[in-house]
Amino acid sequence: MQAHSIGLLPSNAIGIKPIAMKTETEKTETEHQQLARWLSDVAGSRSKAAFTELFKFFAPKIRQFAISKFGNEALAHEIVQETMTNVWRKAHLYNQDKGAPTTWVFTVMRNAAFDLLRKINNSKEDCLSDDFWPLMEADDDPVADLAEDKNRTLINEHLQELPEAQKEVVQGFYFQELTHEQLAEQLNIPLGTVKSRLRLALAKLKQNIGDNHD
Amino acid sequence: MIKHHPSHDLLVAYTQGELPAALAAGIAMHRELCPACQADIAQLNEVHAEQHFELAEAEPIGLDMSAMIDAITSSDAIDVANSYQHKTLTVNGVSYQLPAALNNVAAGKWSGIGGIARSRLSLDDGDIRASLLQILPNNSVPEHTHNGFELTLILDGSFHDDMGSYVAGDFIMLNGEHHHSPVTDEGCLCYTVLNNSMHFNKGLNKLLNPIGKLIY
Repeated sequence: MQAHSIGLLPSNAIGIKPIAMKTETEKTETEHQQLARWLSDVAGSRSKAAFTELFKFFAPKIRQFAISKFGNEALAHEIVQETMTNVWRKAHLYNQDKGAPTTWVFTVMRNAAFDLLRKINNSKEDCLSDDFWPLMEADDDPVADLAEDKNRTLINEHLQELPEAQKEVVQGFYFQELTHEQLAEQLNIPLGTVKSRLRLALAKLKQNIGDNHD
Repeated sequence: MIKHHPSHDLLVAYTQGELPAALAAGIAMHRELCPACQADIAQLNEVHAEQHFELAEAEPIGLDMSAMIDAITSSDAIDVANSYQHKTLTVNGVSYQLPAALNNVAAGKWSGIGGIARSRLSLDDGDIRASLLQILPNNSVPEHTHNGFELTLILDGSFHDDMGSYVAGDFIMLNGEHHHSPVTDEGCLCYTVLNNSMHFNKGLNKLLNPIGKLIY
């Protein structure tokens, strides 16, 4: 997709850069490849060693960003923790073809900071950032296809295979079009639980539907 | 064709995460409809990332961070991507597909006067109010100005005023200097953000105060 194809330093530009720039470019590209490998190890094999390397690279920079922005050490600590937690949990969403690993982590960091500030300033725990700043492009999201009307029957069939708790959030969210908040209230469970159940259910649905129709 | 886009300054503030939720949502919805701004946003993300992660020199964190690393990696749970399906909304018998940016934003009860209906969205921030506004075919909003700013993003349909015509995706930011009176022939659904109630400034229209309150 066009939006993510813009490299900081397009490879076809290397040949016309002066020597000093070329070295800088190569350094950046090597660094990006290394960071991307670590992300891929975290995603693929839950490698703690790779995560520790990512942590060493990013955490001081995230802390510095947060301190310069908010001037508050405690808040900076929280933003480091939240960002790095999301890197650990969402590494599989990073796609090297879509952009640099640093850009992806910036997105994760900006989103975590936004949600945290909204929570502090407005007492809102709605975690809207990933809707306002998608971590990946919509048209590549396989889950999006599931919600198409033509797939509803298919989903309905497979819905029966899900545990009851997951089934009711999927039904509430997709068929009754309730928000996460409304579902949490209606089912009397925490908002985070609604979201995690929904995500698990969708991952499972996707897998089951894929198994039978590939 | 979309002719009205967020200013460069707004896109910078958006990509830095510095806008109030209501405005960030407005740009996110415009972004869904506008490939040009999508490309600009992607490039700004690259620029910010380079600034914070490649050019900036950061002091090492003095504290021992192994406890945080242990805590984070102790769980193997992963997050599945947000789903970008679009919700459908039906108001006064007309159905619309909503932008994915509103997937988790609660909308209040619809209330209306004449051909105008409004639902307040749960995106309040200080004196900023965000709403969905439906204007039925062949209706208009009486001429008004704003003390603060007014953002109108057309999600469906079109309208025109004395400054021009606008289609789905157009991002129209007005301030207190502007007077306008949008008219729609085919009807429209808009996302609006205001930070101060409107002022109706013509004779009889002053009696239309309720509309000002309705729209704010």
